[in-house]
This record gives sequence, structure tokens and C-alpha cells, in this order.
Amino acid sequence: MFDRITLVRRQDVPWTARTATFLGGLGFGLALSCVLLVAAGVPAESLIDELVVQVFLSSDGLAQTVTAAAPLILVGLCSALATRVRFWNIGIEGQLWLGAIAAAAVGILDIGPEAIRVWLMMLAALAAGALWIVPPLVLKTRFGVSETVLTLLLSNVGFLCVQHLLFGAWKDPNNGFPVSPQMGPAEQLARFGWGNVGMGTALAVAIALLAYVFIDRSRIGLQARAIGLNPTTARAAGLPVTATITLMVLLSGALAGLAGGVIVAGTEFRLTQYLGNNYTFSGITIGFLARTHPLGVIVAAFGVGGMFTAGSSLKVFYGLSDAVVVLIQGIVLISLLSAQFFSTYRLSVARRGVA
Amino acid sequence: MPRRQRPALSLSHIDKAFGDKKVLDGAHFTVRWGEVHALLGENGAGKSTIMNVATGVYAADAGTIEVDEQEFPLRGPADAARAGIGMVHQHYRLVGSFTVAENMLLAAGKQVPGITGLRSAAAAIEAKGREVGLAVDATARIDTLSVAERQRVEILKVLILGARIVILDEPTAVLTDAESRAMLEFVRRLAAAGTAVVLITHKLREVLEHADRVTVMRQGKTVLADATTTGLDTSELARLMVGERTPPPPRAAIAPGPIRLKLDGFSVRRPDGTPGVEGIDIELRAGEILGIAGVGGNGQQPLADGLIGLAATAAGRLLIDGIDLGQAPVAARRRAGLRIIPSDRFASGLVGDLTIAENLCLTALDSPALNRGFLLRPGVMRQRAAAAIERFAIAGAAPGRISRLLSGGNAQKLILAREIDDHLSVLVAHSPTRGLDVKACDFVHDTIRASAARGAGCLLISEDLEEILTLSTRIAVICAGRITGELSMQEANAERIGMLMMGHV
Repeated sequence: MFDRITLVRRQDVPWTARTATFLGGLGFGLALSCVLLVAAGVPAESLIDELVVQVFLSSDGLAQTVTAAAPLILVGLCSALATRVRFWNIGIEGQLWLGAIAAAAVGILDIGPEAIRVWLMMLAALAAGALWIVPPLVLKTRFGVSETVLTLLLSNVGFLCVQHLLFGAWKDPNNGFPVSPQMGPAEQLARFGWGNVGMGTALAVAIALLAYVFIDRSRIGLQARAIGLNPTTARAAGLPVTATITLMVLLSGALAGLAGGVIVAGTEFRLTQYLGNNYTFSGITIGFLARTHPLGVIVAAFGVGGMFTAGSSLKVFYGLSDAVVVLIQGIVLISLLSAQFFSTYRLSVARRGVA
Repeated sequence: MPRRQRPALSLSHIDKAFGDKKVLDGAHFTVRWGEVHALLGENGAGKSTIMNVATGVYAADAGTIEVDEQEFPLRGPADAARAGIGMVHQHYRLVGSFTVAENMLLAAGKQVPGITGLRSAAAAIEAKGREVGLAVDATARIDTLSVAERQRVEILKVLILGARIVILDEPTAVLTDAESRAMLEFVRRLAAAGTAVVLITHKLREVLEHADRVTVMRQGKTVLADATTTGLDTSELARLMVGERTPPPPRAAIAPGPIRLKLDGFSVRRPDGTPGVEGIDIELRAGEILGIAGVGGNGQQPLADGLIGLAATAAGRLLIDGIDLGQAPVAARRRAGLRIIPSDRFASGLVGDLTIAENLCLTALDSPALNRGFLLRPGVMRQRAAAAIERFAIAGAAPGRISRLLSGGNAQKLILAREIDDHLSVLVAHSPTRGLDVKACDFVHDTIRASAARGAGCLLISEDLEEILTLSTRIAVICAGRITGELSMQEANAERIGMLMMGHV
């Protein structure tokens, strides 16, 4: 006879249980996504083909997935670094738009020698992204203004800047659509001859590895971890709290800006008004799935990149909208969160006591 | 047998574990109608846990509970309330921005006949207050009341909800001596009227003077069950409570050295802007342990925060070894040799989710020995941690282990290992033994004494008067954010300190 059922927080969760719940949540989320896709008209027998074979196992599909992963790794790192110091950057798209504008500007205005032009574009993107996060950062650290609303709204401002340029000064005269002129060959990231896979991907992976060493092994990384986990202790220990938060948040903005630059110089080769869509949500999802671990970000970005690839083919072949990708991301995320709940808490059934 | 002698509440063979930690191990407890029954034990002995089982807050893993000699299945707090079991917790469950009557109405819901609205709630509070002799103003807002008044509200609330078995969890812990006496007299009256009263405490004198019977717990077990207090003495009870205990080493007389810490009109505000401490003047010399005694909430936290630099200095000066650091950041104060043992270990001492090695190095990250260019040297960090673990005998520790998993005593040792270093000049110890067992407590005290002996100035901020009296070389008393008096150990006695604590200079 049961007296009552209670939730008990587990003292220490072994990694086996964590892995099992993670995989269980992932599996459940993907299964649920499949059900929805079938309901939306995708034949059940072609699900494996659409979601696995075409995305990860065919050469073209894999190239597309790897290419898509490059900016996703960068926005995932962007979210992870800011989250480490409890700065909720939900304006990733804003910084990404500014990075894209800055990179395109270097290309369109032919700034600097051609030999290093594309790297100047990357530097400009880094700087612009970092600059775009300065107002919320200053307002937060100086006056305690919530960064969530500020970063989010600055995303819209960034997007309006893009539209202003694309419908005005930078509109390509040879094109009916509001897009900028195409980047010249010197303004494109080198490709390795496999789809669009190129320096963008290499750059993103290299930065993720650097970020791992930075977070895990450097003094500033340890300071950032301490501040994120317990700001009061960090202050009482005499750590430079504001300086560390400032550095981490600027890095976060810079990486989002770089993502914009990588898209402009690596895949789109021009500034368009769609290239930044959905990167805020994807960045946060990837940062969360990776538990803000830079190496985990690479894996999670690869998985979400696969969803992008699958989404684009589902769109073409079954007339599903872009929202499907966001929907699947959402379902997987909620499944993982629910699974995590059960690895953190234990159901305890108390029996009526008889000695 | 007359009703008076019959058991009101009886718990037997109670087991309770949290995770792997067994908190109650076959514990017993019985209280009779019309008696005051003291439940005695140190922090962590299981007193609060067994009473939480009795009130349905925790479900026991095994054991039986009887109310009025009938087996009584407790499924939750609602069952306990129906059985007439009420508890006055140490942390009062009152809404600060509500009035007394509103809090009464909130607790009563629709359960209490006669209480239908604010007016009847106020009437019930005032009537019950007159009946038992605890006057409160039913229209007062809770946050305008003193601690003692809030306690009265909480007790009246429990009585109005129909409690016939009343459990008081350390009711005198937050009261001044005069208030404590009034409270204990009230407890006697309550029992005389037939109520079964359980008095959870760790004060031996209270037990002998005011309780009819006593149960002593130690490490989750009942070591003395249901004994009458006549014929017992404090030393016997103390021995039962703590088990075997080594006496503190005799205090070596140390000639005070140069001034380590000087506070001059030092004032700090609380986070909400109200005054925390005002005009504190203190001189602390090398080799001294200056005890800051006071009832909790009289400025201890703002003082500790202001000293380390978590709160800004509003006025006055703070000199460490002659250098004014009143406006300096935490890091500069630490460089000057200021160290702190905070009152809440995992809130402002340790980062629970970092490893022991990382926590140990947290205050010394800019030391050249730990850095190689851009990167830290994990090997050196591990070595230091291993050495500290050995030197401070931190049980269950390894350099790479997450510090959250340490017990209270071992977490405190970890903080000591970090803070007590070669550059220590001024040690601020804020409630350094809160929640620790006897052995850990002795270790902390020995470490503080040793630091003073090696030439540090120690400021002991504690709400535990016994701790102040055993450890200090000099005592200052804080009340309402001001130092109300300074006493040498020859002048110090409980009565004199008690008067100063209440602000009578």
C-alpha cells in the first residue's frame, strides 16, 4: 500500500544515467517529430531516407549539413559563452546581422588589398557583432537593466538596418530582389571542392576548439565558470567579475557577428534579408543541448545543421514550410528538458511504515 | 491512569534517510498530555527531522506513529493538523507584508469554524492571545513586528488551528534573555492547561529548569528516552548529547601585537539602502580574537559584507595594517591580507559545482605559480589541493571532486584551507561553526586560535554566545548596527552581555 509519491532531488547523477536520459529524450523527440511529419504528408517509408540518408549519409547531403553547421557552431558558442556568465543573449540575430553588414561592407566598398580582403571581412564581422552587444552590456553592468529585452529588440534594429541597405544604397541594380551585389572571388571564403564546405567550417571548428581550451584551461575561463555558477562567491573571492563578464559577452557578440560574416562570404556571397533567420533560436538550442560545452556545441550544431538540410528538402518535395525545422527543434528541446527532469529528480514511493 | 500521564504522541522505530545519509536510525520519542518534554541534541542529531516526521512534512522510511495511543497513518501535514499536531518552526511562516489578522486568515482558510473573514480572524487572534497571555496587535503588519512578537503570532496561529500537541523548534534561539524567560513561562502555562508541549532545544539549562521530561538524541538515535528531569544535571545531559568530547586546549596568553584592523566610524548600508552598521570603531591587534556578540539580524551580515568588500563603505575608514582600504575592491583587501570565513559556506564561500582544486585556487588565480602564459597549470592546482586535503584532513575529498558533495564540516575545512594562508593578516570568521558537528566545530576553533597565535587578528562574528565566550580574547557587543559595549574576558558574563545585546548600555 502506497502512502504517497514524492519527488526527491538526486544528490549526484552518474554520467551513465545522464547519457541514458539524454539519448532517451532525443529518441523520444525525434520519434514524435516523425509522427508529425507523417501527419503533415511525408510518407512513413521515406522518413529514414529524408532524415538520415539524405542528410548525413549521402555526399551532397552531408556537404550541405557540414556547411550549415559552420554558422551554427558560431552562434552555439555565442550562446554558450554568454550563458556561462549568466548573460542571456537572446539577440544573437542582431549581432549576426551587423556582422553580415560589416563583412558585406568590406566586400562592396573594396576595402583593403584583395589578398587579405576576405579576412578583413571576418575581422569586420567580429568587431561589428561585439559592438552591437555593447549597449545592453553597459546598461546591464552599470545600471542593472535586463539584457534580455535589450538584446532581443536590438535584433529588430539590426534587421531594419539590413533592410534599409538592401532597399536603398546596396540594392543590386541587376537583380529584382532586395539583395546586395554579389561578392567577388577575393571576397569569398576558400572552398575545399566538396559542396560549399570550406574555410568557414574549418574556422568555426577551430574556434570551438580554442573556446574549449579557453573555458576549461585558462584563468579567465575558470573565472567565468565561477562567476556563472556562483556570482557572490566569485565576488567574495576577489575575482574581477565585471571585467570577466564584459570580456565573455563581447566574445559572444563577436562570434555571432562572425557567423554573419561566414554566411555572407561562405555560402550566400551577398547580403540578403533572409540569411539570418532562426539563428537566435538555433543558437540557444545548440548552447543548451551542449550544456554550454564548446565541444558539445560542434556535435549539437552538426545535428541541427542536419535538421536544416532535411528541412530544405522537405520544403521542396513536400511543400512543408520553414517552420517545420523550428518545430522539430522545439519538440526535441522539450523532450530533452523533460528527460533531464527525471535524471535530476527521483520518484520516491513511501510505504506505510510497520516496524 | 489519569489522562495527564497518558501518551499524546508516540513515535517508535523511526528510520529516515536522505539519499545515502541516514538521518534517523530507529529513533523513539513520546510526549504525554500536560507535560513539557524537551528534545535535546546537537545540530544534526535528528531533532528537527523526527519532528518533521511527526508533523507529516517528511514521510518516515519505517516506524510507527501513535496519537492518543491509536496508530495514526500520517500521509501529509494535513493529517497531522487533523490530529492536533502543530509546529512552530524556527523560521516563521508568515507573510511580511500582511497584517497579523491577514496571516491568520491565510493559515485558517476554511478549516477553522468561526473564522470567516478578517474581522473574525482578528477577533480570534486577540481572544486567544488574552486566553493564553500572549498579547499581539492583530492589525500590525508582520514586518513591523520584532522577532519575539512574530513568534507569538506564530504560536497563536498554531493554537487557533487546533493544536493540542505543540512542537516548538528552538523557540529561545532568537530571543533575548528576558524574552526567553517570558516564553518559557508561557510554555509552562500551556502545559498546565493540558497541552502536550515539545521543546526542541540545545540549551541544557532550559531543559532542567522548565521541562518535565527529556529525550536526548545523538546522530539519529535516541540515547536517552523519556527521562524525568529531576536528578539530572547539566554535565550528565551534556555528556549524553555530545558523547565523548575532548576539552579545548588551554588558552595560551599572547601579548597583543601591532594593530591589524582598525575601523573608524565604519558604516555600511544593507542592499535595500537602510543602515546596516553605523559608526563602528574597532581596534584589533595581532594575536587577538575579538568576539562580536549579538542577537541575529543586528548588523552582523552588513558588517561581514562591508569588511570583505561585498557591500560598499558608506562612511568611515577601514585600515588593514595601517592602509586605508575602505573604498578598495575585494581583491585589494585580499592582497592586504584580509580573509573571510562566511556564514553561508555554499552561498558566498565555495562554488559548489567547481572542483575542490579549483575552489582552493579561486582567491589566488593571479599567482605566477598557477599560471603559464594564457593557461592555468592544472598539475600545480592538483598538488596544492592534495596537500591541503591532507593538512586539513578533509574527508571524502579528492582534488578533482566537485565540492558540492562535501559535508558541512568538510566544506568548512576547505574554506579554512583556502583562507588561512601565509599572507593572512585579518581573519573575519562569521558564524564559523553554524550547522557543524562537535568534532568539526573543535577543528574550526583550533584553527582560528592557531591563526591568532601566529599573529593574525581575528574578528569572530557569532550569534552563539557560548562560542564567543570560549574563543574570544575580548568581546564587543553589537545591537541595532552599533557597538553597544566592549568587555574584557574578566568583565564578560552572560548577564552583562545580554543587557548590551538588548541595547542597555
